[in-house]
Parts: sequence; structure tokens; C-alpha cells
Amino acid sequence: MRGLVALFLALATTPLAAQTVVVSEEPEAVSLTVYRGEKYGGQAIDPNWPTGYALVTETRTLTIPAGESVIRFEGVAEGMFPESAIVTGLPKGVKEKNRDARLLSPLGLVDAYLKRQVTITRTERATGKTREFPAMITSAPGGAVILQTNDGYEALHCTGLPERMAFAQLPAKLSAKPTLSVITQSDKPVTAKVTLTYMAAGFDWEANYIAQVQNRGSDGKGKVDLFAWLTLANGGNQSFTNANTMAIAGKPNRENNGPQVKPTGGSLELKCWPNQRTHEVPYNLGYFPAPPPPPPAPAAYMDEESDSIVVTAQRMRGESLASYSPVAVVVAEQENLGDLKLYRIPEPVTVNAKGQKQVAMLVKPGAAFTHHYSASVENYGAQSEPMTLMLRGKNTTDKGLGLPMPQGQVMVFENSEYGPLLTGETTLNDRAVGEDVEIAVGTSVDVRMTVTPQSEKANNQRWEIKVTNARNTPVNIEVEIPYELRGKSKAVTKISGVPTWKTTVAGNDSATLSYDIKLERD
Amino acid sequence: MRHLLLLGMGCIIAAPLSAQGDVASAQGDVAVTIYQNGQSLVQDSRQMNLPSGRSKQEFPDVSASIRAETVTLTGPGIGIVEQNFDYDLLTPAKLMEKAVGQTVTLLRTNVATGVETRVRAKVLAANGGVVLQIGDSIEVLRDDGLPVRVIFDRVPPNLRARPTLSVTVESKGGLTPTTLTYLTPGLGWTSDYVTLFDDAKQTIDVQGWVTLTNNTGTDYTNADVLLVAGNPNQGGNRRMYQTSYSPSTGTIDEAGTESNNRERLGDYYLYPLGERTTIANAQQKQVSFLDVKSAPARNTYEFNNGWLATNEAASASSVLKFSTSRSGGLGDQLPAGTMRVYMRDKRGDPQFIGESRIEATPMGSAMSIRTGEAFDVKVKTVVEERTRINSNRWKTRMRYEITNARGNAVTVDLGQNGLWGDVRISEQSQEGKRVSADRIEWSVPVPANGKATVTATFDSRY
Repeated sequence: MRGLVALFLALATTPLAAQTVVVSEEPEAVSLTVYRGEKYGGQAIDPNWPTGYALVTETRTLTIPAGESVIRFEGVAEGMFPESAIVTGLPKGVKEKNRDARLLSPLGLVDAYLKRQVTITRTERATGKTREFPAMITSAPGGAVILQTNDGYEALHCTGLPERMAFAQLPAKLSAKPTLSVITQSDKPVTAKVTLTYMAAGFDWEANYIAQVQNRGSDGKGKVDLFAWLTLANGGNQSFTNANTMAIAGKPNRENNGPQVKPTGGSLELKCWPNQRTHEVPYNLGYFPAPPPPPPAPAAYMDEESDSIVVTAQRMRGESLASYSPVAVVVAEQENLGDLKLYRIPEPVTVNAKGQKQVAMLVKPGAAFTHHYSASVENYGAQSEPMTLMLRGKNTTDKGLGLPMPQGQVMVFENSEYGPLLTGETTLNDRAVGEDVEIAVGTSVDVRMTVTPQSEKANNQRWEIKVTNARNTPVNIEVEIPYELRGKSKAVTKISGVPTWKTTVAGNDSATLSYDIKLERD
Repeated sequence: MRHLLLLGMGCIIAAPLSAQGDVASAQGDVAVTIYQNGQSLVQDSRQMNLPSGRSKQEFPDVSASIRAETVTLTGPGIGIVEQNFDYDLLTPAKLMEKAVGQTVTLLRTNVATGVETRVRAKVLAANGGVVLQIGDSIEVLRDDGLPVRVIFDRVPPNLRARPTLSVTVESKGGLTPTTLTYLTPGLGWTSDYVTLFDDAKQTIDVQGWVTLTNNTGTDYTNADVLLVAGNPNQGGNRRMYQTSYSPSTGTIDEAGTESNNRERLGDYYLYPLGERTTIANAQQKQVSFLDVKSAPARNTYEFNNGWLATNEAASASSVLKFSTSRSGGLGDQLPAGTMRVYMRDKRGDPQFIGESRIEATPMGSAMSIRTGEAFDVKVKTVVEERTRINSNRWKTRMRYEITNARGNAVTVDLGQNGLWGDVRISEQSQEGKRVSADRIEWSVPVPANGKATVTATFDSRY
């Protein structure tokens, strides 16, 4: 596949030296590194509006003529940040990098043809006969086109006659899309392998964990099969075929964009005489606010062409579904990149335009987790409320994990007579090796808590916690009491500075604790 | 320069006016000086053929966003009578309004037969609808909804295709070299730095690019471009807030005192572009200005706790430190811009690891930029105990747990803010540095795959 497509002389760009234009239509090899977007409150990727970005590195083979030439790069992501573009591999380097955003459009054509001649074609409605005549555009495209014809001055589309404009040539300055080009020089014609690296908006990724609870002992200890998908999304219109694809965890700093050029062009708004007809009030454009971003396509109506979710390397599950975690054949490989974590998909994959892709990134069956029910007295009152079931593990090798766990969404499954069923959905922040991993599964109808005031003195407030367990197995509970307490209790220990009641409540039983809050009175 | 159509009986325009490419610009020799606050100075030197005496000269192809009040036209033997900037633009509604009281031609087309009839009509009023007098009858234009062409004999003299600058000059006549200067918004520049960090060698390669953007609506063809690093008319304000612990920007740790032979304009640095270039409208252009290989750099970590509070483990910032000094540094001033840092992955491909905005930096400065948050280096802050000593004194015992999941030892600059100047540190597990009234810093070594703990007791008054 040759990157070089056409050579033609661009005239009138500069009067000094004719530059040869080399058009590079598409890359031969591409690698794509996806960085995460900011996701508040653990929301999932919005595949239509991904908030992350990507670093794209492409190789293109170009034939560069002798002298000065302009290389136009086509087929780049439209979310490109042009200031981040790096071009290497040219024999004499890059003289200039330019990104042009004067777009070919009805408005752009009229603008480029101001004070120039166009052809007007009028069609008679009665006979279908057409008549062509020359005219000169005498007004800039600010709401109208005023034409100078051999008869005098007229306004386009104010006659009620079918009429259209034709332009002799494409203006050289206008392009179909914002285009990156570089100016370079060469002493002799050469074939060069050029690398283009740039950052582009409109990508995102996150981990999607599947925590399959294998067993749950009466002591709260158990085993969980942890699996994670690397889910990446490309919200742009550019596909990356056979791309060497990577994802980065960690948070590289990003600054606000500097000044960007505003693309010119658009549709031609035509306004006519004051009121075209007395009984027809024209559409008054008046003040025109900035157009809203295009509405996201309804997710429910994915057409067949846009394969929106691609699951790579998933084997069919057997009849008896033992685990919700799939069997992964391809697993992304992790390496360190400075203070970031890089995940590399080992085979080239195709990241489709408007598509989401998943590849396994973490397979850790049999990790040790404990179950407990957790609550903070702040959120409870006299009426009993359910406590939250938590899974707690440690990200170490001896506990069956021991690898970086990037932020993402977590689905928790437990086995049932009907196979593994979803018991909770939550999110997980970045967890480095050695850190505790806590997964909030969901609230329990059976394990509930009430907090009732007992007595109040000038400097003391007595409360009672009651935890009821309607399960027929014992449960471990942890209740945070984020206050300054009076006296010491063996049942209450400080965890990360917060007094916490840790105990085990027997099956079909309840447990109570009284505590005194120190009140400060001035 | 005016393109006139040949008007007349049966005249057919044979060839397009400019068949190839685009119309040549009326600009002369253009020099553009671009500042970093959105203002630019344009100097346009044209040879003008002036008639003797007073004449009105129009200047097409000046910036479409020109600040008309800043225009100056100079040249030998030229006196300025007046300057005008006209922006009454030609639209169909304007054309009709200005035709009130005049006679226009109506060309009606029979919808059934296509036969055209031509009548002359006088425009009586254009208020909402157009009222015409045709012979003896008064009619409203297109009241029947049928096609009718309205043909005007002329365009009123003050209506223009684009806003137009004109200067009325008094001259002895003849070919005169003139210079038109004006200010325009819409041109700007910033710098973009491509930094490749080598962790093993602890060096950086830095390439600096100036990035110009043109949103003026006008192309500047083959222009002599000069960039000024600095913001005229924006000084004079003292910094209101201390920015030393703002988490996301690059900072000058120690301002440099070196200088080089770069051209200056007052206190600003000048960056002339080596060659003339065309700055097209809606274009972003980059030209290289700095290329340094293997300057020493080192990476370190930094964590800031804003208040004496318990927080979940959070990542420390990855910080890259380097110098802009002639010896052992980049050896140049850095105009304000964005520094993007890359690092090679295991296969040797450069990957992006973060970026940081830097302010204009003198030569010889010690710099530190925060490239991002470290995945493996985290700090957990815990309030161990908070006790009241008396009605306005509190004692807070803090514990800072620093974890390092990396395979190498690291040093974290741990900072505690919110000390207000009157908080005393009565006890600390290692000696800290009170860098300001509000802040104390500890330099904490953390072993590979290990932990370090700092404890401190703060005695605060309210």
C-alpha cells in the first residue's frame, strides 16, 4: 500500500517558488495508545462522546521530489490536537507544520469567488428548459449572494425561480477536512519513511472487572475469580486498521488547549428582500447562538454496519456456566512507563470508527477476599437500614493478586442454581500493588442496623447500635463511628484514625454496642 | 484594483476572470509582529500610484478584524485628509431599502408558458414588505407568490462586500512607496515543547516549536514574521495568590539570572522567523525554535495535603526537574507554552506521559514540572488524634503513610499546607522544612516496594 497518491503542482500559493504537493492518503502502520478521560462518580465510557484522548503514531512511505514540497497528511483522526504533531524521518527535517481549516463548503465557495465570475443556471418550471448566463458575485456571503449580471444587480434565490450557481474550479485553499501539512526540502527525489505522531481527542478506555465469587465461608473468607476487560472506545470517524494498540493507566497531566483555529465554512444562509410575501413572515435569523454539540446517536438504534461492541478472543462458554469470567486467549500485556502503566494488546487489532473494543487485561482466578458488612453511624437512625456487603482483598501475590489494578467498573457475580448471577455493580479506583482492594457489592436486606440515642448530658451523648442478622450464617461487621469517643472499648479499634466497631454477629442473631460521644462545650 | 464586467447588449463573458487558483492579494510587503496577548502589529508596504491632489484610496486585504482606529498610513509626500472604515454591507434587504424612490426592473415569468415580461417599477417603501408603483397602480412585491426577478440598475455607493478601510490622501502624485500599519486581534502564538525523557540516563531531549494561529479572516502572504515573548499592557498587577502548590502547572523553583544574545524589545524577547512565510486564515502554523539533546533531568515525587484531615490513599505527583542554564541545562529562555513529555516504552516507541504549562522562564532557572500522578506512589493521611487543650488551642496528631509499589527507592517531597502561620509543630518524626508560614515540607525516602511513615503533631490556635 503506497502512501503516495498524487503529485500535482499547486499554483498561486506563493509567487516565489512553486511547491510540489505530495498527498499521503493513509498510513501503512499505525499504533494507538489510549489515555483515560476524567470520569466522575465512576460513570462508564460514553461511546459517543469519549472524554479521553490517544497518542497516534503512524508510518507512511512518501516519495519526495527535489526542491521544496508540501506534504499533506490525510486520514488522520479528526480530533487531532495539531500543536502536538511530530513529523520525523524527512531527509532535511520540517521547515513548517501547518494545519488548515478553511473548509470546502457552500459558504467557502462563495467567499472564494467574491468578485469572480460564476455561472447561473435557471430552469423554466413550465418547459424544463435551462438557461445559463455568467454573473459576478459582488457581496460576501453574509446572509446573501448579490450577483452582477448583464441586466444589472440581482439577489440569488430572491426571484422564486429555480436557480443554481456553478463554479469553474475548486479554490486551491479550501480542503474537505482540516488538514495537516508540512513543508520540507530535499536535494534530490527520495523515498522516505515518515513517522507522524499526534494526540487526538475522542478516545477513552477503562477496565471492566468481573469478580466471580467462588465460595464464601462461614468465617467470611472466600475466593473470588477476578477478570478484567480492557474496554476502549473510539468516538471518531476514523478507523485504525491493524493497529498496535495500547492503553495507559495513571493520570498524565493535561492542560487546557491553547488557542485553536476556528474552521471556516458552513452553509450559505440566504435572506431576501424585507418580507418575501406580505403574508409570509421570513425566518428572522437575528442573533444566532453557537450551535449545540451534535446530539448523541440513540444507542438503541445501532445499525448493522456500525459494529459497536467487539469482543475479541472470547470463547463460547460451555453449557454449564461455572463462572461469568470468560476464557481469555489474548490478554493485554502490562509494562511500566515511567510512573504510568502501559497495557499492550499483543496482536494488531482494528479499532473501528464509532466502535468499542474489549480485550482481556487481567486474569486472576482464586484471589483471596473476605466478606463483611459495613456501615457508618452517620448515615443511620432509629429506623433499621440495610448494611453494605463489602469484599475486601489485598493486592499482593500471596493473596492471589499482586498487579496494578486500573480504575474501572466492577460487576460482582455469585453462583446460584441458575449459574452465576449479578449481585452488584460498583466502581474501583486505581489500586497499586500492596494496597487494599475493597469492592462494595450491594446492600443486604438481611443484615440491618439501627442507631438510637440513649441519653444526653452536658458533655456526653450516649448512643446504641443494634445490628440484626437474618442470615443463617454468621456475618462479620464493621461500623465506623467518626466521632471522638469517651472511654475505651475492646470492641472498638481505630482504623485509619476512625473508631470502628468490628465484630461477628451469629446467624439469626443480633448484636448491640453502646458508645459515648464527647461533646465539646465552650 | 477593480474587476469590471463588460456590460452591454448580448455580451457573453468568454473566459473566467481568474481561471487558475485564487485571486492575487492586494497586500504589499507584509511584516507581522505577534504578541502573546492576542494583539498583532501589521506593517503593509505597498507601492501606490497616487493621482495629484486629493484622492480616496481603498485598502482591500487588510485584516478582517482590523482595529480601524489604530491605522496609520505613511509615505513620502503624503498628507492624510481623513480615514474611513465602512462596514455597511451589501445584502438584498439593504439593496432594496436603499432603492426606495428609485426605479427598478421587474421581470415576470409566466409559470405556464415561460414567457417573460419586463416592466419598470418605482420602489415606494421597504418596510416589512416592498411597496411598488407600476404605472398607475400600487402593488406589493411578490404578493401573488409568483416568480419575479428584481433587477437593480446599480449598487448604492456605500454598500460594500466586506468592511473596507479607505484613506483620503493629498499627494503630489506618482508612484509612491507607502506603509500602512495597524493593530489587529485574532493572531496569537504560544510555544509547544516536545520533551523526550530518558529514565535510565536521566536526560531530556527538548524541541521547541512556536505555534501561531490566525483567526483574523485574512491571509498574510509571504510575510516577515516576528514573535514577541511577553504581554504588553498586562503587567503592573502583583500576584494575588501564591501559586507554589497549585497542582497542575510547571513552576520555576529558582528564577535564573543568565542572559544570551537573543534580540530584545524592552523587557521582551524577540523570535524572528528565519524565512518569510504565508499565514493563512484558519491556519495553525508551527516553526521550530529550540533543539536541545541530552540535557540532564531527574524525576521525583511530590504530595500536598491541603488540610489536617484524614484522606484515602492518593497518588503523589510525578515531577520532572531540569534547568534552563547554559551549563547543564537547556541554555535558552523558554517562552510561555505547553511542555509535553514523552518516554520510550519497552519496544522503544515514545509514549506520552503528561504535559505541563510553563510560564515565560528566564535562562538559568531551575524548573520543575508536574507531568501527572504516579500510579505506584501513594500517600494516605490520617488524623490520629485531635484533642482540645483549651478553648482556642487544639492539638492534632497526623500520620502520613507513603507507599511505594515501584521496584526502586524513591524520595517524596511531602507537604502539609493550611498552617496559617500560627500553627506550631510540637513533635515530628523527622525534621521538616517550614518553607512558608502556611506550609511545612518533609523529604521522605521510601524504599523499593516499601512504606515510610511520617508523624507530626500540630498545635493550632483558633
